[in-house]
Amino acid sequence: MTKKVYLHVGTPKTGTSYLQHVLYRNQVRLRSHGIHYHADRFDAHFLAALDLMRLPWGGIEAQAIGRWDALAASVRRSGGTSIISHEILATASRAQIGHALESLGHGDDAEIHLVLSVRDLVRQIPAEWQENVKHRAALSYGRFLSLIQDPRREGRIPTWFWGVQEIPDILDRWGHDLPPEHVHLVTVPPAGGSPDLLWTRFSDAFGLGGLSLQLDGERVNPSLGVPETTLIRRINRAANEDLEPAFYRPLVRELLAHQTLSRRTGSPRLALPPDVHPWATALEDSWIAEVRRRGYDVIGDLEDLRGAPPVQEYADPDHPDEAMVAGAAVDALKALLLHHAQLQRTLDHRSGELLDTQRRLERSVLRPTYRWRQRTVRRLEASGPGRYAMKVYRRARGRSSRSA
Amino acid sequence: MTPPESPPESPDESAGVARAWGWVAHLRTGGTTPWARWQEPAPDADQGGRFLPGAQQLELLRRLNVAGPPSAGLAARVLTASAPGRGLPDLGLEGVLPPSSFGSPPVDPSDLAPEELVRVATALLAEDVVAAGDPDGPPRVKLLRRRYRMLGDPELARPIREALIAAGHPPGGPSATVVVLGTGLDRMLAHEWTARSFGAGVRPWREYVAGERRRTSLSRRFDLAAVAQHWSGRVGPGRVHVVVDDTRLAARLAGRRRPVPDQTELSADAVELARRTAPVVGTLVTPERRSRLMWHRFRPMLAAHPGPPLLVPARHHAWLAGCTADLRRRLSAGGYAVHGDLPEPSVRPGVTAPDEEGVLALAMRMLLGSPTATPVDPDSASATGEVR
Repeated sequence: MTKKVYLHVGTPKTGTSYLQHVLYRNQVRLRSHGIHYHADRFDAHFLAALDLMRLPWGGIEAQAIGRWDALAASVRRSGGTSIISHEILATASRAQIGHALESLGHGDDAEIHLVLSVRDLVRQIPAEWQENVKHRAALSYGRFLSLIQDPRREGRIPTWFWGVQEIPDILDRWGHDLPPEHVHLVTVPPAGGSPDLLWTRFSDAFGLGGLSLQLDGERVNPSLGVPETTLIRRINRAANEDLEPAFYRPLVRELLAHQTLSRRTGSPRLALPPDVHPWATALEDSWIAEVRRRGYDVIGDLEDLRGAPPVQEYADPDHPDEAMVAGAAVDALKALLLHHAQLQRTLDHRSGELLDTQRRLERSVLRPTYRWRQRTVRRLEASGPGRYAMKVYRRARGRSSRSA
Repeated sequence: MTPPESPPESPDESAGVARAWGWVAHLRTGGTTPWARWQEPAPDADQGGRFLPGAQQLELLRRLNVAGPPSAGLAARVLTASAPGRGLPDLGLEGVLPPSSFGSPPVDPSDLAPEELVRVATALLAEDVVAAGDPDGPPRVKLLRRRYRMLGDPELARPIREALIAAGHPPGGPSATVVVLGTGLDRMLAHEWTARSFGAGVRPWREYVAGERRRTSLSRRFDLAAVAQHWSGRVGPGRVHVVVDDTRLAARLAGRRRPVPDQTELSADAVELARRTAPVVGTLVTPERRSRLMWHRFRPMLAAHPGPPLLVPARHHAWLAGCTADLRRRLSAGGYAVHGDLPEPSVRPGVTAPDEEGVLALAMRMLLGSPTATPVDPDSASATGEVR
């Protein structure tokens, strides 16, 4: 029987984290139905994607070495159906895609199905800026918008944005060698629809319909309001030079952005500025026409790629309501204080344990003269003549003596 | 497979694609004609690749052919390389396909910025560094040895430390003599940037210097007094020595009788190339192996290509002079031994920033000097009829 591999390569901000969480949590149940999601940790496919694309990612890439080939080997060893999912795969080059497909058995014994989940640009553009901010970016929203509208597309921000968001180009790169019926587009429903509809579409795309899976609401990538995003951007500007990447992720992205600021309600939401709206919708129209022309399998409705009309009251994150930003800052400070207090409690507890261990060690192991000898050696080592005396003493003892 | 709904290629389109494949074949056999002057289509049999290589890969190969010649193996590696990290995607060639409303615009490869070609080159250099293999592990630790810690300026301290480790004297241990080795702050700034370029990564030189200047206090990495003070508190001031510009004395204090050969000062372009390559090596091996490979394998390769060293721009000298005066005051009040005097920032021969074309030229020299760089068969190269 031909093996089937579903390769879900993007796009970001289309419910991918939720999908990956459900697949990860239900590995055993899926396996009993002949569907494999090979992941020893939640971010296993993220690491595999980093490895495939040789993408440095704040030090995490060290954990990714060899991950793609290992994942591909697991897929090739498995029968039935396998699923691979990570949204940063969208930006892979043609050479990397060639290696990926070949390593999964394309052209050999595997039938590759490409899945791309897509959402309208009117929602994707502000979401991508916010994601950049949550990854240390300090550029303003206005600057971000002008960079992505520049047709030259030079620099890290626009190249990444278009690499992961330009639907026809992603499909061109990834779907180049695949028949159109093996390329599946999952459209994200418009805001305000049934919350289950997107999952139903994912289920259809991956052949999960009818399976009883454990679904829950965790692992969604929560979004921030306008003042909260502005606050994070200001923190980035102030702290980027001093805060190491290893600390940024747990403290700023997780503690402040995800666990604290995303829970604030009532803030205005990020939106596309009304003057940028026509440019975005014109692009959406051309993409819809192109995808329709190519004849891919669409799960949902291509009309979902047409964004909502411009917002009536636009809240500009580059000129925010300062009182709202201050309110967000107070919440952030409170979270940091509580976190610090918790760390201090842990530190005090560990210090107490260490001191206690030291005392018990001294009582049970050390001879009574030890402390006297230790003090003497320290005193001698602190002066030139003392060090000379110690040297003579050690030579006289006939071995390389360690100090007390 | 082309989707059946796609319209057939127009005559112009297929002529453009055939011309592009013709250029690929030309470059593969050592040709040097720029894309804008290339007109010959490839025969149908030579258009069988899965995809056309990007403009970056093709232009890098053309330039290697000009500078080379490269081996057929290296040419094949260039054409199938992906530019690592974030940046421009593989770009199309101008004039091959009709204008499209999506995808990055195609380019004339001659117009590409050198850093885009360097990006592709770093993918290959990183593979070469890893392929060079790990250096030998340290020898057995000698029991009779002086305990030491060699701290301070990484470009000055690391060669001494490496020499001691190679002699079976690893740093650390009880009763260790702490040696804090330094030099003028302008050189230490360049040295710190150099060390970080070979390690976990650092911002471009100008941004780095500007960032250090914005700090309210001297970074601890250059603050010899802060390091010496810290260790005085731990081991007593009697065991701490601050040594300025005297690597022989520093080595002697650490128990090394024979002098350690001075480290070759790398060119600014070499350090910049290391800064671009180290993150790519980091996607192939663990940070510990990267550190060893970059120091023991890549650094000697770079040192074989001398060039002007990196200097702090003169406009920052007044700031550094103020920091130097403050550091001198704190060193003299520390209670530990200070050997030598911190020099003022000075104007020396060198450059204040790496040169992008220079970095590319160096990357190409390194690639052409790699084991896969055996020249192509001259007969097959001349078969293109192209004069180099």
